Amino acid sequence: MVWEIGLPLRFAVNLPEHPTDAELVEQCKRGNFHAFERLYELHSARMKSLAFHLVGNRADAEDTVQETFLKVYRAMRGFAGGSTLSTWIYRILINCCYDNLRKQQRLAEKPVSREQSNDPKLPLKVALERALGKLNERQRLVFLMFEVEGLKHSEIAAILEAPEGTCRSWLFEAKRELKRLLRESST
Amino acid sequence: MKFECGDLDRALEAPELMPEAREHLKQCPACRSEYRLWSDISATGRQFHEEWESPTLWPRIRSILEAEPKLISTPSWRRQWKVWAIAAVVLVGIGSLFLSRFQQTVRTPASPDVARITGAPANRDFLTEQALRDVQRTEAAYRQSIEKLSSLAEPKLADNTSAQAANFKEKLLLIDSAISETRSNLDHNRFNVRLQTELADLYREKQQTLQELLTRDQKN
Repeated sequence: MVWEIGLPLRFAVNLPEHPTDAELVEQCKRGNFHAFERLYELHSARMKSLAFHLVGNRADAEDTVQETFLKVYRAMRGFAGGSTLSTWIYRILINCCYDNLRKQQRLAEKPVSREQSNDPKLPLKVALERALGKLNERQRLVFLMFEVEGLKHSEIAAILEAPEGTCRSWLFEAKRELKRLLRESST
Repeated sequence: MKFECGDLDRALEAPELMPEAREHLKQCPACRSEYRLWSDISATGRQFHEEWESPTLWPRIRSILEAEPKLISTPSWRRQWKVWAIAAVVLVGIGSLFLSRFQQTVRTPASPDVARITGAPANRDFLTEQALRDVQRTEAAYRQSIEKLSSLAEPKLADNTSAQAANFKEKLLLIDSAISETRSNLDHNRFNVRLQTELADLYREKQQTLQELLTRDQKN
Protein backbone atom coordinates (compact mmCIF):
# COMPACT_ATOMS: atom_id res chain seq x y z
CA MET A 1 0.00 0.00 0.00
CA VAL A 2 3.03 2.22 -0.39
CA TRP A 3 1.45 4.16 -3.25
CA GLU A 4 -1.58 4.88 -1.14
CA ILE A 5 0.18 7.56 0.82
CA GLY A 6 2.18 8.70 -2.15
CA LEU A 7 5.51 7.05 -1.53
CA PRO A 8 7.55 6.00 -4.55
CA LEU A 9 7.55 2.26 -5.07
CA ARG A 10 11.26 1.98 -4.32
CA PHE A 11 10.44 2.52 -0.64
CA ALA A 12 8.53 -0.72 -0.54
CA VAL A 13 9.59 -3.26 2.08
CA ASN A 14 12.46 -5.62 1.33
CA LEU A 15 11.86 -9.23 0.41
CA PRO A 16 13.26 -12.28 2.16
CA GLU A 17 16.24 -13.82 0.37
CA HIS A 18 14.22 -16.74 -0.96
CA PRO A 19 10.61 -15.62 -0.95
CA THR A 20 7.89 -18.21 -1.35
CA ASP A 21 5.24 -17.84 -4.05
CA ALA A 22 2.76 -16.69 -1.41
CA GLU A 23 5.16 -14.02 -0.15
CA LEU A 24 5.82 -12.81 -3.67
CA VAL A 25 2.12 -12.62 -4.46
CA GLU A 26 1.42 -10.78 -1.21
CA GLN A 27 4.19 -8.28 -1.83
CA CYS A 28 3.17 -7.78 -5.47
CA LYS A 29 -0.37 -7.10 -4.32
CA ARG A 30 1.00 -4.48 -1.94
CA GLY A 31 2.75 -2.83 -4.87
CA ASN A 32 6.25 -3.99 -3.99
CA PHE A 33 7.98 -3.58 -7.30
CA HIS A 34 11.04 -5.54 -6.16
CA ALA A 35 8.81 -8.56 -5.68
CA PHE A 36 7.56 -8.23 -9.22
CA GLU A 37 11.11 -7.90 -10.50
CA ARG A 38 12.01 -11.09 -8.60
CA LEU A 39 9.12 -12.82 -10.30
CA TYR A 40 10.53 -11.69 -13.63
CA GLU A 41 14.00 -12.95 -12.72
CA LEU A 42 12.62 -16.33 -11.67
CA HIS A 43 10.50 -17.04 -14.71
CA SER A 44 11.46 -14.86 -17.66
CA ALA A 45 14.25 -17.07 -19.11
CA ARG A 46 12.08 -20.15 -19.40
CA MET A 47 9.11 -18.07 -20.53
CA LYS A 48 11.17 -16.50 -23.32
CA SER A 49 12.31 -19.92 -24.50
CA LEU A 50 8.80 -21.37 -24.52
CA ALA A 51 7.45 -18.26 -26.26
CA PHE A 52 10.27 -18.48 -28.81
CA HIS A 53 9.20 -22.00 -29.78
CA LEU A 54 5.55 -21.03 -29.93
CA VAL A 55 5.75 -17.72 -31.80
CA GLY A 56 8.81 -18.52 -33.89
CA ASN A 57 11.33 -15.74 -33.28
CA ARG A 58 13.07 -13.91 -30.45
CA ALA A 59 11.62 -10.47 -31.03
CA ASP A 60 8.05 -11.73 -30.91
CA ALA A 61 8.92 -13.98 -27.97
CA GLU A 62 10.16 -10.95 -26.01
CA ASP A 63 7.06 -8.97 -26.94
CA THR A 64 4.90 -11.85 -25.75
CA VAL A 65 6.76 -12.16 -22.46
CA GLN A 66 6.42 -8.42 -21.96
CA GLU A 67 2.70 -8.61 -22.60
CA THR A 68 2.41 -11.56 -20.23
CA PHE A 69 4.12 -9.71 -17.38
CA LEU A 70 1.92 -6.66 -17.93
CA LYS A 71 -1.16 -8.85 -17.76
CA VAL A 72 0.15 -10.62 -14.67
CA TYR A 73 0.82 -7.30 -12.96
CA ARG A 74 -2.59 -5.93 -13.80
CA ALA A 75 -4.38 -9.09 -12.72
CA MET A 76 -2.27 -9.80 -9.63
CA ARG A 77 -4.84 -8.33 -7.26
CA GLY A 78 -7.37 -10.87 -8.52
CA PHE A 79 -5.00 -13.83 -8.15
CA ALA A 80 -6.62 -15.92 -5.45
CA GLY A 81 -4.01 -18.67 -5.26
CA GLY A 82 -6.26 -21.37 -6.70
CA SER A 83 -3.28 -22.54 -8.75
CA THR A 84 0.42 -21.97 -8.17
CA LEU A 85 1.84 -18.67 -9.28
CA SER A 86 4.01 -20.18 -12.02
CA THR A 87 1.12 -22.23 -13.37
CA TRP A 88 -0.98 -19.11 -13.59
CA ILE A 89 1.80 -17.14 -15.30
CA TYR A 90 2.46 -19.90 -17.87
CA ARG A 91 -1.23 -20.13 -18.65
CA ILE A 92 -1.27 -16.40 -19.40
CA LEU A 93 1.93 -16.75 -21.44
CA ILE A 94 0.51 -19.52 -23.60
CA ASN A 95 -2.67 -17.56 -24.24
CA CYS A 96 -0.59 -14.51 -25.18
CA CYS A 97 1.51 -16.64 -27.54
CA TYR A 98 -1.54 -17.97 -29.34
CA ASP A 99 -3.11 -14.50 -29.49
CA ASN A 100 0.08 -13.11 -31.03
CA LEU A 101 0.32 -16.00 -33.46
CA ARG A 102 -3.23 -15.38 -34.61
CA LYS A 103 -2.48 -11.67 -35.05
CA GLN A 104 0.67 -12.42 -37.03
CA GLN A 105 -1.10 -14.91 -39.22
CA ARG A 106 -3.91 -12.46 -39.88
CA LEU A 107 -1.41 -9.79 -40.87
CA ALA A 108 0.70 -12.05 -43.03
CA GLU A 109 -2.19 -14.16 -44.31
CA LYS A 110 0.19 -17.09 -44.37
CA PRO A 111 1.68 -19.40 -41.75
CA VAL A 112 4.29 -17.77 -39.59
CA SER A 113 7.78 -18.77 -40.61
CA ARG A 114 10.03 -19.97 -37.86
CA GLU A 115 13.68 -19.26 -37.20
CA GLN A 116 15.32 -22.55 -38.09
CA SER A 117 18.54 -23.83 -36.64
CA ASN A 118 21.25 -23.80 -39.27
CA ASP A 119 23.82 -25.91 -37.49
CA PRO A 120 24.91 -28.46 -40.13
CA LYS A 121 26.57 -30.70 -37.54
CA LEU A 122 23.29 -31.57 -35.92
CA PRO A 123 21.08 -33.28 -38.49
CA LEU A 124 18.86 -34.86 -35.84
CA LYS A 125 18.29 -31.49 -34.23
CA VAL A 126 17.33 -29.96 -37.57
CA ALA A 127 15.08 -32.86 -38.48
CA LEU A 128 13.47 -32.83 -35.06
CA GLU A 129 12.87 -29.09 -35.26
CA ARG A 130 11.11 -29.56 -38.58
CA ALA A 131 9.12 -32.51 -37.28
CA LEU A 132 8.11 -30.50 -34.24
CA GLY A 133 6.60 -27.91 -36.55
CA LYS A 134 4.35 -30.61 -37.99
CA LEU A 135 2.85 -31.71 -34.69
CA ASN A 136 -0.56 -30.48 -33.71
CA GLU A 137 -0.72 -27.55 -31.27
CA ARG A 138 -1.41 -29.60 -28.17
CA GLN A 139 1.27 -32.24 -28.79
CA ARG A 140 3.86 -29.58 -29.59
CA LEU A 141 3.01 -27.60 -26.49
CA VAL A 142 3.27 -30.61 -24.17
CA PHE A 143 6.56 -31.70 -25.78
CA LEU A 144 8.00 -28.19 -25.44
CA MET A 145 6.95 -27.86 -21.83
CA PHE A 146 8.15 -31.31 -20.71
CA GLU A 147 11.17 -32.17 -22.86
CA VAL A 148 12.47 -28.71 -23.71
CA GLU A 149 11.62 -26.59 -20.68
CA GLY A 150 11.66 -29.33 -18.08
CA LEU A 151 8.30 -28.67 -16.49
CA LYS A 152 6.83 -31.54 -14.46
CA HIS A 153 3.81 -33.51 -15.57
CA SER A 154 1.86 -32.12 -12.62
CA GLU A 155 2.75 -28.54 -13.61
CA ILE A 156 1.80 -29.13 -17.24
CA ALA A 157 -1.48 -30.65 -16.14
CA ALA A 158 -2.22 -27.60 -14.00
CA ILE A 159 -1.29 -25.18 -16.79
CA LEU A 160 -3.42 -26.97 -19.37
CA GLU A 161 -6.14 -27.69 -16.81
CA ALA A 162 -6.19 -31.36 -17.83
CA PRO A 163 -5.67 -34.57 -15.84
CA GLU A 164 -2.03 -35.55 -15.40
CA GLY A 165 -2.58 -38.93 -17.08
CA THR A 166 -4.02 -37.21 -20.12
CA CYS A 167 -0.99 -34.93 -20.35
CA ARG A 168 1.35 -37.95 -20.14
CA SER A 169 -0.62 -39.55 -22.92
CA TRP A 170 -0.38 -36.38 -25.07
CA LEU A 171 3.38 -36.39 -24.56
CA PHE A 172 3.60 -40.03 -25.58
CA GLU A 173 1.55 -39.32 -28.71
CA ALA A 174 3.79 -36.36 -29.51
CA LYS A 175 6.95 -38.44 -29.23
CA ARG A 176 5.49 -41.29 -31.20
CA GLU A 177 4.51 -38.87 -33.96
CA LEU A 178 7.95 -37.27 -33.91
CA LYS A 179 9.55 -40.72 -34.17
CA ARG A 180 7.34 -41.51 -37.15
CA LEU A 181 8.16 -38.19 -38.85
CA LEU A 182 11.88 -38.67 -38.25
CA ARG A 183 11.78 -42.19 -39.69
CA GLU A 184 9.87 -40.83 -42.65
CA SER A 185 12.36 -38.04 -43.27
CA SER A 186 15.34 -40.39 -43.05
CA THR A 187 14.04 -42.71 -45.77
CA MET B 1 3.76 -62.86 -21.56
CA LYS B 2 6.14 -63.06 -24.47
CA PHE B 3 7.39 -59.60 -25.39
CA GLU B 4 7.26 -58.91 -29.12
CA CYS B 5 8.40 -56.02 -31.34
CA GLY B 6 4.83 -54.70 -31.50
CA ASP B 7 4.82 -54.31 -27.70
CA LEU B 8 7.60 -51.74 -27.66
CA ASP B 9 5.32 -48.72 -28.05
CA ARG B 10 3.17 -49.97 -25.18
CA ALA B 11 6.25 -50.41 -23.01
CA LEU B 12 7.39 -46.85 -23.75
CA GLU B 13 4.06 -45.57 -22.49
CA ALA B 14 3.87 -47.91 -19.49
CA PRO B 15 7.15 -47.96 -17.51
CA GLU B 16 6.14 -51.17 -15.69
CA LEU B 17 6.70 -53.07 -18.97
CA MET B 18 10.21 -51.70 -19.43
CA PRO B 19 12.10 -54.55 -17.68
CA GLU B 20 10.67 -57.02 -20.22
CA ALA B 21 11.27 -54.52 -23.04
CA ARG B 22 14.95 -54.23 -22.05
CA GLU B 23 15.34 -58.00 -22.25
CA HIS B 24 13.81 -57.91 -25.71
CA LEU B 25 16.04 -55.01 -26.80
CA LYS B 26 19.13 -57.11 -26.09
CA GLN B 27 18.13 -59.51 -28.82
CA CYS B 28 16.33 -57.25 -31.33
CA PRO B 29 18.41 -54.69 -33.30
CA ALA B 30 15.30 -53.17 -34.95
CA CYS B 31 13.66 -52.41 -31.61
CA ARG B 32 17.01 -51.21 -30.25
CA SER B 33 17.17 -48.67 -33.03
CA GLU B 34 13.59 -47.57 -32.35
CA TYR B 35 14.34 -47.22 -28.66
CA ARG B 36 17.53 -45.25 -29.36
CA LEU B 37 15.59 -42.83 -31.56
CA TRP B 38 12.98 -42.49 -28.81
CA SER B 39 15.66 -41.56 -26.29
CA ASP B 40 17.39 -39.24 -28.77
CA ILE B 41 14.17 -37.30 -29.25
CA SER B 42 14.13 -36.46 -25.54
CA ALA B 43 17.85 -35.75 -25.39
CA THR B 44 17.75 -33.52 -28.46
CA GLY B 45 14.57 -31.83 -27.23
CA ARG B 46 16.47 -30.61 -24.17
CA GLN B 47 18.91 -28.81 -26.48
CA PHE B 48 16.07 -26.73 -27.87
CA HIS B 49 15.92 -24.60 -24.76
CA GLU B 50 16.86 -21.11 -25.95
CA GLU B 51 18.63 -18.60 -23.76
CA TRP B 52 19.56 -15.09 -24.78
CA GLU B 53 20.17 -11.79 -23.11
CA SER B 54 17.34 -9.28 -23.22
CA PRO B 55 18.77 -6.21 -21.50
CA THR B 56 15.91 -3.98 -22.59
CA LEU B 57 13.02 -6.28 -21.75
CA TRP B 58 12.70 -5.63 -18.01
CA PRO B 59 13.29 -1.85 -18.32
CA ARG B 60 10.54 -1.81 -20.96
CA ILE B 61 8.12 -3.67 -18.70
CA ARG B 62 9.07 -1.52 -15.72
CA SER B 63 8.61 1.77 -17.55
CA ILE B 64 5.14 0.75 -18.74
CA LEU B 65 4.17 -0.37 -15.25
CA GLU B 66 5.54 2.76 -13.62
CA ALA B 67 3.39 4.82 -15.92
CA GLU B 68 0.27 3.04 -14.71
CA PRO B 69 0.76 2.29 -11.00
CA LYS B 70 -2.91 2.74 -10.24
CA LEU B 71 -3.86 -0.28 -12.30
CA ILE B 72 -2.63 -2.56 -9.58
CA SER B 73 -2.61 -0.25 -6.64
CA THR B 74 -6.19 0.85 -6.63
CA PRO B 75 -8.55 -1.55 -4.93
CA SER B 76 -12.16 -1.34 -6.01
CA TRP B 77 -13.32 0.51 -2.90
CA ARG B 78 -10.70 3.15 -3.52
CA ARG B 79 -11.76 3.63 -7.10
CA GLN B 80 -14.90 5.26 -5.71
CA TRP B 81 -12.76 8.21 -4.68
CA LYS B 82 -15.53 10.72 -5.26
CA VAL B 83 -17.68 9.07 -2.62
CA TRP B 84 -14.79 9.10 -0.16
CA ALA B 85 -13.91 12.68 -1.00
CA ILE B 86 -17.48 13.82 -0.38
CA ALA B 87 -17.68 11.81 2.86
CA ALA B 88 -14.40 13.31 4.06
CA VAL B 89 -15.47 16.87 3.19
CA VAL B 90 -18.80 16.42 5.00
CA LEU B 91 -17.08 15.00 8.09
CA VAL B 92 -14.45 17.71 8.11
CA GLY B 93 -17.19 20.33 7.77
CA ILE B 94 -19.14 18.89 10.69
CA GLY B 95 -15.94 18.61 12.68
CA SER B 96 -14.99 22.23 12.04
CA LEU B 97 -18.46 23.38 13.08
CA PHE B 98 -18.21 21.50 16.35
CA LEU B 99 -14.67 22.71 16.88
CA SER B 100 -15.63 26.37 16.47
CA ARG B 101 -18.55 25.95 18.88
CA PHE B 102 -16.33 24.05 21.29
CA GLN B 103 -13.67 26.74 21.27
CA GLN B 104 -16.19 29.56 21.60
CA THR B 105 -17.62 27.87 24.65
CA VAL B 106 -14.22 27.19 26.12
CA ARG B 107 -12.96 30.74 25.60
CA THR B 108 -16.06 32.46 27.07
CA PRO B 109 -14.78 34.56 30.00
CA ALA B 110 -15.84 33.33 33.36
CA SER B 111 -19.03 34.93 34.56
CA PRO B 112 -19.97 35.96 38.08
CA ASP B 113 -21.57 32.48 38.31
CA VAL B 114 -18.10 31.18 38.98
CA ALA B 115 -17.95 32.91 42.27
CA ARG B 116 -21.35 31.53 43.16
CA ILE B 117 -20.39 27.95 42.31
CA THR B 118 -16.82 27.80 43.44
CA GLY B 119 -16.95 30.34 46.16
CA ALA B 120 -13.82 31.85 44.62
CA PRO B 121 -13.35 35.18 42.87
CA ALA B 122 -14.24 35.15 39.15
CA ASN B 123 -11.26 33.77 37.24
CA ARG B 124 -10.93 33.49 33.45
CA ASP B 125 -9.13 30.15 33.88
CA PHE B 126 -12.21 28.48 35.36
CA LEU B 127 -15.54 27.46 33.86
CA THR B 128 -19.05 27.53 35.22
CA GLU B 129 -21.00 24.27 35.63
CA GLN B 130 -23.29 25.23 32.71
CA ALA B 131 -20.37 26.20 30.47
CA LEU B 132 -18.62 22.95 31.37
CA ARG B 133 -21.68 20.92 30.39
CA ASP B 134 -21.72 22.75 27.03
CA VAL B 135 -18.04 22.13 26.56
CA GLN B 136 -18.38 18.43 27.39
CA ARG B 137 -21.34 18.03 25.05
CA THR B 138 -19.54 19.77 22.21
CA GLU B 139 -16.38 17.84 22.90
CA ALA B 140 -18.25 14.52 22.78
CA ALA B 141 -19.82 15.44 19.44
CA TYR B 142 -16.49 16.63 18.10
CA ARG B 143 -14.76 13.48 19.33
CA GLN B 144 -17.40 11.40 17.58
CA SER B 145 -16.87 13.19 14.28
CA ILE B 146 -13.10 12.69 14.57
CA GLU B 147 -13.64 9.02 15.31
CA LYS B 148 -15.59 8.76 12.06
CA LEU B 149 -12.71 10.40 10.27
CA SER B 150 -10.36 7.94 11.98
CA SER B 151 -12.43 5.02 10.80
CA LEU B 152 -12.05 6.30 7.23
CA ALA B 153 -8.30 6.58 7.61
CA GLU B 154 -7.84 3.30 9.46
CA PRO B 155 -8.02 0.91 6.47
CA LYS B 156 -5.37 2.96 4.70
CA LEU B 157 -2.94 2.58 7.54
CA ALA B 158 -3.72 -1.02 8.40
CA ASP B 159 -1.06 -3.43 7.19
CA ASN B 160 0.86 -0.57 5.66
CA THR B 161 4.52 -0.94 6.57
CA SER B 162 5.91 2.03 4.67
CA ALA B 163 7.92 4.75 6.38
CA GLN B 164 5.31 7.41 5.75
CA ALA B 165 2.53 5.26 7.10
CA ALA B 166 4.67 4.64 10.17
CA ASN B 167 5.03 8.43 10.57
CA PHE B 168 1.30 8.91 10.38
CA LYS B 169 0.69 6.08 12.82
CA GLU B 170 3.29 7.44 15.24
CA LYS B 171 1.88 10.96 15.07
CA LEU B 172 -1.67 9.76 15.65
CA LEU B 173 -0.46 7.60 18.53
CA LEU B 174 1.27 10.60 20.14
CA ILE B 175 -1.81 12.78 19.70
CA ASP B 176 -4.04 10.08 21.17
CA SER B 177 -1.72 9.67 24.12
CA ALA B 178 -1.67 13.47 24.70
CA ILE B 179 -5.46 13.59 24.44
CA SER B 180 -5.75 10.81 26.97
CA GLU B 181 -3.32 12.54 29.34
CA THR B 182 -5.10 15.89 29.03
CA ARG B 183 -8.46 14.26 29.59
CA SER B 184 -7.10 12.52 32.66
CA ASN B 185 -5.83 15.89 34.00
CA LEU B 186 -9.22 17.40 33.25
CA ASP B 187 -10.89 14.71 35.35
CA HIS B 188 -9.08 16.21 38.36
CA ASN B 189 -9.60 19.81 37.29
CA ARG B 190 -12.79 19.92 35.28
CA PHE B 191 -13.17 23.73 35.22
CA ASN B 192 -9.69 24.51 33.89
CA VAL B 193 -10.01 26.58 30.69
CA ARG B 194 -6.35 26.11 29.74
CA LEU B 195 -6.67 22.32 29.79
CA GLN B 196 -9.93 22.47 27.83
CA THR B 197 -8.24 24.70 25.23
CA GLU B 198 -5.28 22.32 25.07
CA LEU B 199 -7.66 19.44 24.51
CA ALA B 200 -9.42 21.37 21.74
CA ASP B 201 -6.04 22.07 20.12
CA LEU B 202 -5.14 18.38 20.29
CA TYR B 203 -8.41 17.42 18.64
CA ARG B 204 -7.77 19.98 15.94
CA GLU B 205 -4.27 18.55 15.43
CA LYS B 206 -5.72 15.05 15.09
CA GLN B 207 -8.33 16.28 12.66
CA GLN B 208 -5.68 17.98 10.52
CA THR B 209 -3.50 14.86 10.52
CA LEU B 210 -6.38 12.63 9.48
CA GLN B 211 -7.42 15.16 6.88
CA GLU B 212 -3.88 15.27 5.50
CA LEU B 213 -3.80 11.47 5.29
CA LEU B 214 -7.13 11.32 3.45
CA THR B 215 -6.27 14.19 1.09
CA ARG B 216 -2.94 12.59 0.26
CA ASP B 217 -4.72 9.34 -0.41
CA GLN B 218 -7.18 10.97 -2.81
CA LYS B 219 -4.36 12.67 -4.70
CA ASN B 220 -2.68 9.33 -5.25
